Amino acid sequence: MTAAEIMAEAAQSLPAARCAAEGTTVTMDVPPEDWLAALSFARDVAGCDFFDWLTAVDEQDEGFAVLVHLYSIEDRQHLLVRTLIPRDNPVLPTASGIFRGAGWPERETHEMFGVVFDGHPGLAPLLLPEGFEGHPLRKDFALAARAAQEWPGAREPGERRAAERSRRRLVPPGVPDGWPPP
Amino acid sequence: MTDLAPRSRGVIGLLEENCTLCMLCARECPDWCIYIESHKEALPAPESGRPQVRNVLDRFAIDFSLCMYCGICIEACPYDALFWSGEFAYSETSIAGLTHEKDRLREWMWTVPPPPAHDAGAPLPREARAAGPGAGPG
Repeated sequence: MTAAEIMAEAAQSLPAARCAAEGTTVTMDVPPEDWLAALSFARDVAGCDFFDWLTAVDEQDEGFAVLVHLYSIEDRQHLLVRTLIPRDNPVLPTASGIFRGAGWPERETHEMFGVVFDGHPGLAPLLLPEGFEGHPLRKDFALAARAAQEWPGAREPGERRAAERSRRRLVPPGVPDGWPPP
Repeated sequence: MTDLAPRSRGVIGLLEENCTLCMLCARECPDWCIYIESHKEALPAPESGRPQVRNVLDRFAIDFSLCMYCGICIEACPYDALFWSGEFAYSETSIAGLTHEKDRLREWMWTVPPPPAHDAGAPLPREARAAGPGAGPG
């Protein structure tokens, strides 16, 4: 199916989905209730039967975005399916019944972001060591290595150690105010 | 090294002579893997006036076990002291060996390729124009 055909079909069968096409990629935003319906649509109607990856993005106050990238080898058509789930209840039905390959990415997304995939056959940690606490890819997760190490940029030229009474307080780029949390 | 593209990212060389210890690379590094240590040294005063103080480099090290080869340090350096080299074969049996100190970083400079030629018909670089006729390539 071409991008235009996918968009037309989606308008019929998934009225709540918002679709946009760019080049050979269609991006489809669906409400969480339509998650499995959208993935079935992608596989069976749109022909995007190659499961590439599944992951999440911490959108902070808006919740977690969960994304699946699918591909049609036959039509060389990309399809990105996205949904947004609330931060205080990050639950989504598992896609492993539709794409078996989604099992491991869901385990990884579960440990890294704390997203729960309802109905997953074994949501055990995949990469993190046993007993690891927290979800390291959440934006409020403080990286222990950053808290333990002194920032090499804190020194001033010609000074032996980090300037404690610097004229301006130097903060590593990209680090928000008040970080790391005390 | 002849088959590598001119802007290949292998290892980073330090032209120590150009480094002013401004710390910009260490501050911009997202991986916090550039370590610079320096001290101030006073030169004896000329006949009149105050002694001149300058910064002297004690340590410049890049930990390539942390480096993600983003090249931000090279972009950030205002004094052209950091360069990409195409050399990539510097594996180690101990992780500590991937921290290259300034002497080793200086040695990599001998492997830095010359910059690619300008496009045909491109205007002369500003520096070459300022230097007047006869300067610059061709």
